[in-house]
Amino acid sequence: MSTKTNPAEKQNSFLAFLGKHVYDIAAYAGLAVTLILFLIFGGKRLSYNAQTVLQTSAPTIIIALGAVFVYSMGYMDVSVGQQVGVYAILMIMIINAVGGVLGVILGFLAVLALALLCGAFNGAVAVWLKLPSIVTSLFLMFFFTGAQLLLMESTGTNSISVPTSLLRPANRSAYNLVLVLIIVAVTLAVTYFSRFTKLGKYTRGIGANETATAQSGVNTTKWKVIAYMAFGVCVAIGSYVMLMRTGSAGKGTGTGYAMDIMICLILGGMPLSGGMKSKVSSALVGTLTYVLLTNDLTTMGVDLNMINFVKAAIFIVIILITCRKHGGVLPR
Amino acid sequence: MSNEVVIEVRNVVKNFGPTRALRGVDMKFYAGQIRGLVGENGSGKSTITSIISGMQKATSGEMFYHGQPWNPSTMVEAQEKGISMVLQEANTIPDCTVAENIFAGQFDEFSKFRIVNMKKVTEAAQKMLDDFGISHIKAADSINKYGFEDRKLIEIVRCVSDDTQVFVVDETTTALSLEGRNILYKLIHKMKDEGKSVIFISHDMDEILEQCTDLTVLRDGEIIGHLDRAEMDAPDAVQRIRYMMVGREIGEAYYREDYDTSHLPEVALELQDITFGPIEHFSLKLHKGEIIGFGGLSGCGMHEIGRAAFGLEKLAGGKVLRNGKEITNCYQAIKEGIGYISKNRDKEALILEAAIGENIVLPSLPALSHATFISPAAEKKMAKKEIDSFRIKCNNGKQWVNTLSGGNKQKVSFGKWTAKGSDVLIMDCPTRGVDIGVKQAMYALIGEMKKQGKAILLISEEMAELIGMADRIIVMKDFKVSGELERSPELSETDMIEYVI
Repeated sequence: MSTKTNPAEKQNSFLAFLGKHVYDIAAYAGLAVTLILFLIFGGKRLSYNAQTVLQTSAPTIIIALGAVFVYSMGYMDVSVGQQVGVYAILMIMIINAVGGVLGVILGFLAVLALALLCGAFNGAVAVWLKLPSIVTSLFLMFFFTGAQLLLMESTGTNSISVPTSLLRPANRSAYNLVLVLIIVAVTLAVTYFSRFTKLGKYTRGIGANETATAQSGVNTTKWKVIAYMAFGVCVAIGSYVMLMRTGSAGKGTGTGYAMDIMICLILGGMPLSGGMKSKVSSALVGTLTYVLLTNDLTTMGVDLNMINFVKAAIFIVIILITCRKHGGVLPR
Repeated sequence: MSNEVVIEVRNVVKNFGPTRALRGVDMKFYAGQIRGLVGENGSGKSTITSIISGMQKATSGEMFYHGQPWNPSTMVEAQEKGISMVLQEANTIPDCTVAENIFAGQFDEFSKFRIVNMKKVTEAAQKMLDDFGISHIKAADSINKYGFEDRKLIEIVRCVSDDTQVFVVDETTTALSLEGRNILYKLIHKMKDEGKSVIFISHDMDEILEQCTDLTVLRDGEIIGHLDRAEMDAPDAVQRIRYMMVGREIGEAYYREDYDTSHLPEVALELQDITFGPIEHFSLKLHKGEIIGFGGLSGCGMHEIGRAAFGLEKLAGGKVLRNGKEITNCYQAIKEGIGYISKNRDKEALILEAAIGENIVLPSLPALSHATFISPAAEKKMAKKEIDSFRIKCNNGKQWVNTLSGGNKQKVSFGKWTAKGSDVLIMDCPTRGVDIGVKQAMYALIGEMKKQGKAILLISEEMAELIGMADRIIVMKDFKVSGELERSPELSETDMIEYVI
């Protein structure tokens, strides 16, 4: 092959590049635009805004990172929000009952165990009953909604809390540093498992072609369960990080997380059908875009009531760009 | 017999990439005729009929329908103009009622103010089923209730009407029971008597000789000859037709040259009295260093045996044994060193929307994984080795499989298991669509594997391949073993076809 390329070929390869990376380009362009707007409109309150963005986005980023494994398979989970709510309430109850650092550790471990159990349930039941996994996660969503209400009824109040000093460093910058460290650690772990281990390769394989993956010796049932359990770990960590910020929980805690995570991943370029194009970066890029967007719209002075309409418009545009591909089916 | 030409094709050529499926075919189909088309797999029978019925377009050439130029763009258009075809593969819409299937696309006739009167649709459909003599099928039922055979009959009801002038039956009878066949035979003879033209494709020689009024033999995309009824009734007709079908000399060089059918004494894989689906009490011992070939027509059960040996079929009785362990699923099979090249390449053997490298290393990942870590360099090396040795035509291992040609895809599917180093290989049509040069390389590799003591189950629709490669050929027909042939220089396709058809 000759090394010379004529302009037409160059243009062709450029178009081919565009076509191949349409997800990434759309996702990164979205992040760049929201970031620029953020810098412009942040103005004097830039540093304060940045901290707010970090604190509000941390739980979503962590949970979205875990969700990468589930979405890679072309599956989804709508029970996350209610899970986060129940886990926060449980942690508060355990911390208040046991007290001190021991309470925090016990609370977290209890929640982690529960999250793993739910993950296993989500994965296994969907396979055994041959149901789309969204159905089992719907079941869990209702179950946890009930549990959340029941737990709150038992306390007799609308909201319970723990002093945040128990959960995080009192110093503001130390708190921010801890958040950054947790996000970095989870990102590294998820990236490692996604790129360099069987977990990532198998989950993407399941999303791309489950039959062929199974016939290559991958016990898809087992790996579905493992993927959901990995997600569970991130849900537990995310719940703790959320509690670090608020220190309290009530009947409505966690509502909306499941949808937020789905939106974030899609904004970040995750194909809804899963498969080989699923990437860990979708969680980071998408969540940052989403949180920055909300922040931008507020600082730009968009009426609070209008923000959701603007989000809806942006969301549909991104979907049109990324999902108008052959086989771009909705998650099961 | 009338001499009115219904369909005429002139110098029709069809190329699939470099493959020449039809090399300038001239043919006339007359009214009041049932013309049989016979030939080996890939001889162009289905290609010619699918062009006539609008399923695909010819690369070049002309067609005339009742003397007018004929260029159907879809099967629907062809059917509206009176040319209908039923295929070998299932073609019904699942989860709909029988009536909805029969009248799919024709609901306007039953609509008032754009609301479809489903009752009328169902009644009309039922009348068609009754007229056709299959009253046991109820129009209001979901099509899912009916098996493959009944669905085939429903398809026939759907595509044949009073306006049908040309009816193409493409290897449909293998899907039908005797009763279903008789219904179909009655239909085509009625159509013949009405002065319509029937084109009948089948591998069943008896059926062809009984039902057809004329016969055309195709080989390698060319017409070898026509026989009229008198010639078909000649005492040596069957031999003559078979010779016309397979007469080609095969370049011997690329198959195994030795006739050493010895193998090691150890059994590598055993099927012990297995029963599942239509297959009953099948037993087989595959030894180390042995190549057992399975031949027959596509629907004869040989593909199912391969699936069962890989643990993909749920057995109603019997066992699949490897190293003394029972294989009940494909995970175990792979763990015990069994590899399987599925015939259903795009759906089962490969992840199309993934890189070549990702596909090749997939079964080997557990071996590449050290304390959870899989080195990308090791993956790349493994993939590169297979890409080079099979000469997979690609830029690099990162290229997606769906960008490859069929033959190159097949090489990837083969490469998965050579990379894994499986000791037992079940190959279902491993050389499908592969060009001659690579075919030769694959055969050399299979021969090499035998010498290394690997056990191979070679399932193939190509008789030449089996005769050229296998130590022992098991021929199946209607889910039963119809014959067994030992490897020998004298063995010819004519010997084998006796058991196939």
